[in-house]
Amino acid sequence: MARPAHPQAMQPVKPGRTRTAPPTMPPQFPMTGRYRAYTLFDATGFLYLFVGFVALRVVWALGTGSAAWANIQQQLANPLYIGFHVITLAAVCFVAVRFFGLFPKAQPPRIGPLKPPPGPVIVGMLYAAWIGITVLMSAALMGGIS
Amino acid sequence: MKQFLLKVEPVIWLLFGQGIMIGTMLLTGWVLVMGVLAPLGVVDSLSYEHAHGLASSLIGRVVLVALIALPLWKGAHHIRSLSIDFGGADRDTELATFLYGIASVGSLLAIVAVVRL
Repeated sequence: MARPAHPQAMQPVKPGRTRTAPPTMPPQFPMTGRYRAYTLFDATGFLYLFVGFVALRVVWALGTGSAAWANIQQQLANPLYIGFHVITLAAVCFVAVRFFGLFPKAQPPRIGPLKPPPGPVIVGMLYAAWIGITVLMSAALMGGIS
Repeated sequence: MKQFLLKVEPVIWLLFGQGIMIGTMLLTGWVLVMGVLAPLGVVDSLSYEHAHGLASSLIGRVVLVALIALPLWKGAHHIRSLSIDFGGADRDTELATFLYGIASVGSLLAIVAVVRL
């Protein structure tokens, strides 16, 4: 159902001579059609904000000492934390896939004398970096890197 | 405050964009191992000495600051965007100040956290 958008949305700095219809939200917003992925992409912000603070707690505990480190490991084993992290992992993968797909479309046609590589090459580079960094990070956190 | 937010918008967008790009790349392995596999006992948790040794290196500190701070900015900016889309444009300045304030404090604490390692 279309509903009115904020009256100042898309308002130009100076009113033009052309009369325009008042802005309305698209009828598919927020969870129908292509707006579902758009809304979910934005909603991952809640998980990112929270997981950032969880990571901060972990690093803070590491700086406090071995007892605090053991304590935070115990807390992370709580089913609520595990459930949160499983949902966050799914959200992170969703953000990656959606963003990597959008990234080539957001490139300028030319930066000075340079042209960006073709879209599939950019996407391939992004996936290679993502997989490489994930493997490195996982190996480090599993004790494979000293 | 609205004028200030407009002035710092390029910085916020830089941090937001890197939150999506670098934050996502760093978070995947972190969440997978620290949040799921180690707590479930699929892999062994890092010993304190090993974890401290890794984290207190220069690369470890830089990675950890990025891992903590960049997702905060991605989260703050996307929640703001979601709020505007759901009709919250009237309270945008207050909400943006609050969210970016949280991200700023979290980023400063991230720096403190790696300095005290």
